[in-house]
Amino acid sequence: METFISFLGGFGALLSWEVLGFMIAGFLIGTFFGAMPGLTSVLAIALLLPITYTIDVVPALVMCASIFMAGMYSGSITATTINIPGAPSSMMTAVEGNALMLKGHGANALGHAALGSMIGGSIGAILLMAFMPLAAELALLIRTPGKFSLVLFALVVIIIVDKGAIAKGIVATSLGIMLATVGIDVLQPIPRFEFGTELLVEGIGLMPVVIGAFAVSELLVQAQNWNLSLEGTLERAKALRIRRRDFIPPWSEIRQIGFFTYIKSAIMGYSIGILPGAGGSMAAFVAYADAKRSSKQPEEYGYGSREGIAAAESANNSMCGGAFVPMLMFGIPGDPTTAIVLGVLVINGLQPGPRLLEQQADLIAPMFASLFVSALILIPLTLFLFGPYFIKIVSIPRGLLYSSIAVVALVGSYVATYSIFQMFLALMFGVLAFFLRKHNYSVVAMLLGFILGPDLEQYLRRSLSFNDGNPIVFLTNLDSLAFLILTVVFAYLILRKKPKLDAIP
Amino acid sequence: MNNVERFRKSAVLFPVFLLILTTIYLAEALSIRSQFGGDTIVGPRFMPILMAIIMYVALIVVLVGELRRDEESASSGSFLRPLLVVVATGIYIALFRPLGYVPATLGFVIALFLIFDFERRRPAFFAFYVIAVTALFYGLFAGVFGVRLPPVLGGF
Repeated sequence: METFISFLGGFGALLSWEVLGFMIAGFLIGTFFGAMPGLTSVLAIALLLPITYTIDVVPALVMCASIFMAGMYSGSITATTINIPGAPSSMMTAVEGNALMLKGHGANALGHAALGSMIGGSIGAILLMAFMPLAAELALLIRTPGKFSLVLFALVVIIIVDKGAIAKGIVATSLGIMLATVGIDVLQPIPRFEFGTELLVEGIGLMPVVIGAFAVSELLVQAQNWNLSLEGTLERAKALRIRRRDFIPPWSEIRQIGFFTYIKSAIMGYSIGILPGAGGSMAAFVAYADAKRSSKQPEEYGYGSREGIAAAESANNSMCGGAFVPMLMFGIPGDPTTAIVLGVLVINGLQPGPRLLEQQADLIAPMFASLFVSALILIPLTLFLFGPYFIKIVSIPRGLLYSSIAVVALVGSYVATYSIFQMFLALMFGVLAFFLRKHNYSVVAMLLGFILGPDLEQYLRRSLSFNDGNPIVFLTNLDSLAFLILTVVFAYLILRKKPKLDAIP
Repeated sequence: MNNVERFRKSAVLFPVFLLILTTIYLAEALSIRSQFGGDTIVGPRFMPILMAIIMYVALIVVLVGELRRDEESASSGSFLRPLLVVVATGIYIALFRPLGYVPATLGFVIALFLIFDFERRRPAFFAFYVIAVTALFYGLFAGVFGVRLPPVLGGF
């Protein structure tokens, strides 16, 4: 009950002008980055990571939450209007939304996407607040060998989610873990891999890895694909006339979709969000496929199904709430956005785990409130206020946009520690991530390996040390055994199941 | 595609590069000495050696897969523009502190605008945007967030 009251207090924190300002600014930035093809909310948070050094933790977390929610929703804008998903999680919305757009119902499709996002995002935030105390209780029960098996479970899921490239997933994850071993050892005060330079004794910070992996590499990818211009498509879309009143979906259509679809998709999205590495794309896909399977009008799918839009958008926004659970309770981020939010927590001296909820609920409660308010109020408000201008906003010249991103990324990597070396590291990781992306290695797996590597090593070595190096401890310890069985079950389920090709029309 | 061509494709060269990196990493890992308790199995070099072994196995699987595949898996596109961006960024970083934020960023933005073909035919707009971008982010970092950016030529 105490925790619940703390969570309610989070809404009070949003009444402060500073916090409210950061939430709204974050939402608008997230909307822009989510809507712009090639840019993502992950990139937005990565670029803002250095700024979190200079502001308080509450506005920083509130801003991250609103960017996350906005980015997940706004991918549907260009998905619908020009058939290019602003974010990968809007792939299913592009299928149905653009079909409606071609029939002259683009504003209606955007309205349904916003409504689905609003309902899903709100349900996800409520579930997050409701189940957080329970997750904290569970987290307290897990001992060191169990923590190792849990981190291992997360890494295995991250690797096998991309079934077509498991070996590459292992390479990327191992690379991340190897980078994390640079610096002082996790248990003994001795430096490793410093190669005779003092610059590496403290290890590699999260920030140059994040800026390099998401900002610099994006810049290089865009530079390589520069001739694949979107300007023509955007010019055509600019000619569309969209009226505000068309954004409001008629009650008859909402009834036809049914609130059960929204709620079921939101619960699915939230559950998928809890899984490491799954993310918004999988949430949207699974909910969409399920909605199609149980639909009364399956023939509409692929030709402008409002139900399909509602299910996909409800699920991917609800995923935002779920993704925070493993990150806050176990320090295991479910996706790159929560990985960066974890960085914000650590930068500010907050350690994820059940004690965080017990002792510093007042710091994380505004973040939960921000998720809820962003979904319930800012999504419809942004659509109503800026909806008719979305296409004009995303038509900003790419030369100007990417040059600006380059300046923000590099100056940002400098300001956190006033170190030129950090800027060089950001460039180096950017080049590395560029080649990883070009050859289909998961940059997200590398980042999560980098973040989870120290925990994996620490728990592994501690468990073995206490048991004279005998690995049987991972099988005799019940919580560890449970996570190992869970890992095997998940691996079996994911690898066994063939993708349903008919799910995508 | 003959064997030499197969080996030259970038999808193969990249894991080879990672193999070399892993070898350097492993050599360094083997030189790590535990501070106390001797080099037990769970000492500070345990995890790096374990990761190097996993990396070798995974890279060999990737290499075999890439060598068996005939087509180039990476999407095509010229590397010239990304290379120019990397060079411009490297120069910017090197000059950032000696020149100061304003001159270094002005030069960097000019270089990027040229690389990205932005407003090259309209010099007045070009100059306006260069100054605007430099000023905007100076205002954001130094003005709004109170960050100390390097002054012009390390001086004023």
